[in-house]
Amino acid sequence: MLRAIWLTVQNEARLLIKDPIVLFMLLFAPLVIITVAGYSLGSLYGSVTNSFRVPVVDLDHGAVSNGIIAALKSERSVAVELLDNPEEARRLVTQRARTPIAIVIPAGTSAALAAGQKPHLILFVDPVRQIEVDALELRISELCRVVNEQARLAAQKQLEASSHELHDKLSRLTAEVEQEQTKVRTRVARSQAAIESSVRKQIAEAQQQATTEAEATIKEREGQAWRDVEQQLSQKQAILMDIQRYLIELQSSQHAFEQWLQQLKALAGSHASDIPPPPAFPKPVSEVELAELTKPVTPPKVDSTLPQAPTNAFSIKIAKKTSLGDSKLSAELEQFQSLNTPTLPGTLGFVAQPAGAGEAVAVNAFDLYVPGFGITFLLIGMMLGVALTLFDERDWGTLKRLQVSGAPLPGLLIGKLIARIIVGIAQMVLLFAAGWALFGIALGRNPFALLIPITAISFAAAALGLLIASISRAHDSVMPLGVTISMAMAAIGGCWWPLDFEPGWMRDLAQWMPTTWTMQSFNDLMVRNQPWSVSWRPLAITMGLGTIFLVVGIIRFVTLKD
Amino acid sequence: MAAPPILEAIEISKYYGQRLAVDNVTLAVRRGEIAALLGPNGAGKTTTLSILATLLRPDRGRILIDGKSPKDAVRRTIGLIPQSLALYPTLSVAQNVWHFARMQGLSRKQARESCSRVLEEVGLGARAHDAMHALSGGMKRLLNLACGIVHQPPALMLDEPTVGVDLQSRERILSSIRRYAENGAAVIYSTHYMEEAERICDRVLLIDRGKLIAEGSLEQVVALGGGKPRVEITYRGRLPNERFARLTGVHEIAAMSSEGKATLEMNSLAQFGDVLDGLRGLGLNVIDFMLHSPNLSDAFIALTGRELRDQVQ
Repeated sequence: MLRAIWLTVQNEARLLIKDPIVLFMLLFAPLVIITVAGYSLGSLYGSVTNSFRVPVVDLDHGAVSNGIIAALKSERSVAVELLDNPEEARRLVTQRARTPIAIVIPAGTSAALAAGQKPHLILFVDPVRQIEVDALELRISELCRVVNEQARLAAQKQLEASSHELHDKLSRLTAEVEQEQTKVRTRVARSQAAIESSVRKQIAEAQQQATTEAEATIKEREGQAWRDVEQQLSQKQAILMDIQRYLIELQSSQHAFEQWLQQLKALAGSHASDIPPPPAFPKPVSEVELAELTKPVTPPKVDSTLPQAPTNAFSIKIAKKTSLGDSKLSAELEQFQSLNTPTLPGTLGFVAQPAGAGEAVAVNAFDLYVPGFGITFLLIGMMLGVALTLFDERDWGTLKRLQVSGAPLPGLLIGKLIARIIVGIAQMVLLFAAGWALFGIALGRNPFALLIPITAISFAAAALGLLIASISRAHDSVMPLGVTISMAMAAIGGCWWPLDFEPGWMRDLAQWMPTTWTMQSFNDLMVRNQPWSVSWRPLAITMGLGTIFLVVGIIRFVTLKD
Repeated sequence: MAAPPILEAIEISKYYGQRLAVDNVTLAVRRGEIAALLGPNGAGKTTTLSILATLLRPDRGRILIDGKSPKDAVRRTIGLIPQSLALYPTLSVAQNVWHFARMQGLSRKQARESCSRVLEEVGLGARAHDAMHALSGGMKRLLNLACGIVHQPPALMLDEPTVGVDLQSRERILSSIRRYAENGAAVIYSTHYMEEAERICDRVLLIDRGKLIAEGSLEQVVALGGGKPRVEITYRGRLPNERFARLTGVHEIAAMSSEGKATLEMNSLAQFGDVLDGLRGLGLNVIDFMLHSPNLSDAFIALTGRELRDQVQ
């Protein structure tokens, strides 16, 4: 079996090399169609040069119209044609090819925009070419947004310039005012210092005179007071002398009484104990104490000095007149200076950002059409390479002859499929290489990762070719049946247009087609710049569908051989 | 004791829908033997060959190849030269032969040697690198033969191998087949050209409507038809029918026309001289004659009641 497979692969290679038409179909035909489709449909993505001729009637002749015309001219897909007459523009839209839309810029558009009004462009559109019109309208809308944004930015810039100029003037004015204020403050400070010095001198002199007078008065009054005290004390000292003599006499009487009592008791004999004790005499003041009373009183010494007032105890506060009437102006200037430059209200726009990291926002139309039409032609190639050649081999009788040789039919079929899968992979690789070299398509993070969907779709397409060969009744029915199935699969699977264009039931149907998953894988790897690991699920589904095609195809083909 | 058969069909039958294409056919072919499978178009020759070549499974009966059931390894002992050209038109002569040689299990070295040998044998050595589609019809037939014998199969089946070829190519094909059988191969040669069968075949298998109606050596099958040699004469003069009938060696008058032509059926070919002498003796001026021995076609007509080539274009 393996030998049969290997020899069949070799023979298929020989057959292919000998067949220039198939080689043309495999490589050059898809390149031609990709080029045509890429440049034709690529205009919808804005990637095709001069695909639309857009008449522009400039009645404004202002900055806005100049900006719009310049922006339109910079669009790759648009060739601007300046006209004077709006009716001529309208006529061209209805009658001429590649002119689905015309633009009229009314007079006064620039002025109206500058005045803050809402001017409108007039678009003449051909409803028959709605897709092209939509694409161009989207672009013109973007241009208007850009013009508006530029106008707003210009106004904002002008406002900022004026604001800066005013700010500078205010700064200079503030500086001058502050300079004048400084001079006035200096003069005021000098005046205050002179006044303060004069007042301090006068105060010191008055203070000195008052002190001298007070001291004299105090000394005089002190002398008089002491003289009065000494007089009163002399009088009291004489009285105390009399009291001292009485006390001494009292003390002698006490001694005489005690002697009498002794004698009385002695006389009383045994009745002496009946005599009650006499009352005790109070203890007389000692002589020392009495002598102290008689001493002359020393008059108190009165401190006749006046406390010296500190010279710095006097502070003379002179109210400072710092603002001199200009403080309000200065504050207002400062407040005005601190104000920010006024800002115009912005315009609400959008910035398209890639949903995935590293993904490009703007897609090259060929990023979609190279894999899309590559898959389409791969499927058609498999119809030719597998289904038709199987019928050829039936017609030639070579298949029977090989069977007689003992080569198992499944082995022959698998060998043929492997050869065609290899050819399919080579075809896709060459197409991608040509797409990269000619149209600059993206190959994603790792170009080798593209081999995953390429291999999967080559396998599924080859198996589909076998299935179609097994269900076709004759050689002539292969092409109609095969091409119909291939085209439908390619179209529904999103090879020609985005899957989202399709109605829901068709999208559901697409889930059962290998083309859908392969396109998803290509889009993930190339446009969305995803890692190769995202290809596993599409790979598994595509290979699964291919295996179903293969098994059914082999069973049917083997059954049909009798 | 006869050599054991290489190819055997034992009571095989094959239906296509309701139509019985092969009806209980039993046959055997031995080494060194060329068996002609004869019959008109649609008689069941190709179906019988396809069953013997293991391309079709019989609905009844079985086949044996070299005494064994046809497994893959055994099938390599078979060579099939199909009626249509089973060749790759875009490949060269050498590439065609090479591919079938390799598919038949030859190593690269064996295939290289066999390719050179067989192309020289069929006279295509000088055209080895020409594309198949650039060859003449006869050369394509030769290439078709070369692809079937490149691996030197012990059993070779040929289905109308000389249809539409020039005389020179036919001679080369027939001589190649004869030589191949002489080298020990068992050959089944399907044709509706009687003369080819008569020239190279050892045995004849007559088939009609799926049935094997006669089998044996050429003479045996012709004898089964019961035919006698005939002579067709063109003469000048008049002679009554009864005088013809009384000639020595004449069995009966097969046909008589008023334009001086008569067909006489003879008892044996050896009596032709006597018949000619008798005609001269009767004074008849014989200006032309043509001898016709009884052949397979006669036998076939006799056995089936219809012409062997009645459906041949």
